[in-house]
Amino acid sequence: MSTTISMASFSPLTPISTTHSSHSRPHPHNNLFTLTLTPKNLSFFTLSPLRVSAGTSDSPETAVEPPPQNISVGTNGSASAVTAAEEVKVSNGFLDPRWVAGTWDLMQFRKNGTTDWDAVIDAEARRRKWLETNPESSNNDSPVVFDTSIVPWWAWIKRFHLPEAELLNGRAAMIGFFMTYLVDSLTGVGLVDQMNNFFCKTLLFVAVGGVLLIRKNEDVDTFKKLLEETTFYDKQWQATWQDENSSNSNK
Amino acid sequence: MTSIALKSFLGLRQSSPETTHFSYRPKPSTHRRKFTVVAGISSPKLDGRNLRVAVIGGGPAGGAAAETLAKGGVETFLIERKMDNCKPCGGAIPLCMVGEFDLPLDIIDRRVTKMKMISPSNVAVDIGRTLKPHEYIGMVRREVLDDYLRNRAKDNGANIINGLFLKMDIPKEKNSPYVLHYSSYDGKTGGVGEKCTLEVDAVIGADGANSRVAKSIDAGDYEYAIAFQERIKIPDDKMAYYEDLAEMYVGDDVSPDFYGWVFPKCDHVAVGTGTVTHKGDIKKFQLATRKRAEDKILGGKIIRVEAHPIPEHPRPRRLSGRVALVGDAAGYVTKCSGEGIYFAAKSGRMCAEEIVKGSANGKRMVEEGDLRKYLEKWDKTYWPTYKVLDILQKVFYRSNPAREAFVEMCADEYVQKMTFDSYLYKTVVPGNPLEDIKLAINTIGSLVRANALRREMDKLNV
Repeated sequence: MSTTISMASFSPLTPISTTHSSHSRPHPHNNLFTLTLTPKNLSFFTLSPLRVSAGTSDSPETAVEPPPQNISVGTNGSASAVTAAEEVKVSNGFLDPRWVAGTWDLMQFRKNGTTDWDAVIDAEARRRKWLETNPESSNNDSPVVFDTSIVPWWAWIKRFHLPEAELLNGRAAMIGFFMTYLVDSLTGVGLVDQMNNFFCKTLLFVAVGGVLLIRKNEDVDTFKKLLEETTFYDKQWQATWQDENSSNSNK
Repeated sequence: MTSIALKSFLGLRQSSPETTHFSYRPKPSTHRRKFTVVAGISSPKLDGRNLRVAVIGGGPAGGAAAETLAKGGVETFLIERKMDNCKPCGGAIPLCMVGEFDLPLDIIDRRVTKMKMISPSNVAVDIGRTLKPHEYIGMVRREVLDDYLRNRAKDNGANIINGLFLKMDIPKEKNSPYVLHYSSYDGKTGGVGEKCTLEVDAVIGADGANSRVAKSIDAGDYEYAIAFQERIKIPDDKMAYYEDLAEMYVGDDVSPDFYGWVFPKCDHVAVGTGTVTHKGDIKKFQLATRKRAEDKILGGKIIRVEAHPIPEHPRPRRLSGRVALVGDAAGYVTKCSGEGIYFAAKSGRMCAEEIVKGSANGKRMVEEGDLRKYLEKWDKTYWPTYKVLDILQKVFYRSNPAREAFVEMCADEYVQKMTFDSYLYKTVVPGNPLEDIKLAINTIGSLVRANALRREMDKLNV
């Protein structure tokens, strides 16, 4: 984060300062505080809370934790009026009887003597979805220790690949068959001979790779976009050297 | 020798497909180089005075440039308006900067040895376990660092001018001086400055993201990210946790294309976030960052709110005539980590070194070709670093599943070692191929798992 800009030069960036007037207002004051932040400059710290509290009276969300009497506003509009901070966390946090000490209690996922991994995947998907809409404060006392890698690889394959595998297999076989037919009809090289031919082997790999990569029509666009994205930064850097050429050709 | 250097440099850049527009590039540029060498030797000797160079801006880039110039026998003028400016800046410097710039240890406020990466589903990973006892990330206050570098330039003979740079006149004839206009505030306490002019032979623009030097040479614009940061004074018991620890939060709630951070400063923490794509929502992201760190900063008081632009890529033109841009003015901030202090100081020094060399320690006139050498050298040395970080950002900051995978990947000790080595020493050490393959497989595994979960999540309607 080592960018240099003075407070004065921040002013052109109006999108922020206009929409959040409570923040733009303190900025002119900052020029007063050109003191260094060394501890001996106590005046800085004694002054600044005043300034902030002035801002917070307009928009309560600027304070991390406002004074206890209006804590309910401070915790981002979680309306529950609170006496103990502990309670807020429990009522706000993700709750599931199977979620124990930051991980899924695998004993509760047992079905017929084995762990039902499908249910674990479902549960984790549900938890992540929940967290996306209700972001939770990270906490060091109750860390999340669940790791998706504890779900064995075959559980993922069974669930996500097998339903598609039949389709992909069929598609690969069809394409392979027609390519063989085409090559045969064009060159007269039979199926067995094709297997010994380098060019035909390459074609085989292209067919299999293509089937695996391009599963839907949209995939083609995605790859095109990816290619553009990867070269975009290069172009931004090369701009300097383009300039050199044009200035040279002008001379 | 120089042409060899150039060849490998071009080879490096050809990895990307060339557009027709500059497919003719290699030939003219070799021509250019030849021309430069000949002219460099025959460039006129200055009589009665040394080469005069103005450095606009007194940040790390300007300070480092002015010091190198002054040491090299060039008559140096450094123009800076706010000498004690407390800049909004993360203030992290890599270990190698301390050695390379010979920084005294007492300007480092904090030594961060632990980093916590926190994923969208709140999985926290400690990185930094592989650090050796003497290794750390230094946290500095910019007003202290900048001041130190400027004073060192002054000790070496640079003239420090307290003034506001206004504009400059670009000379029509070859070798005639640039005329800088600035208002001088030297020896004054307030009010309007005195209009002054200064004639110099070359200019280094180190005046940050809103560079006036860049404007006057028509350098073009760059995309920028907006970074928003609040300095929060938190209770002592909470501060103890951040003693030597920094936190990075990733997630769509915190920033769609960057990360949110909690960095320890001298006696408070800086909580912030940044984005390129959704600048209007920055306040929302800031709230989310605070929310994610809530338990650890509860009871804190905001003592300062700041925002600043971070360049995303270099300006289209970083050099024109005898004017060169360095640091943020040129746009040298990495993607992914958003680091810029080291690169600013380094580019300032590199540019100054080329001027000193090209002018034979201030005895001869310099010209565009001499300054070009700095650009060539810079791109050759640091292009791979920038590119790698760009790829990392594109792969791992693009969506929540990718971020989950990124955090999982960072739990690996090998990754941590490689990351810290390349961050602290700014050299890319080739890793162990076996470990690399293992890492690649694990990463792809993580990505596939996270994306599979994502598909399940899309099916759910909670």
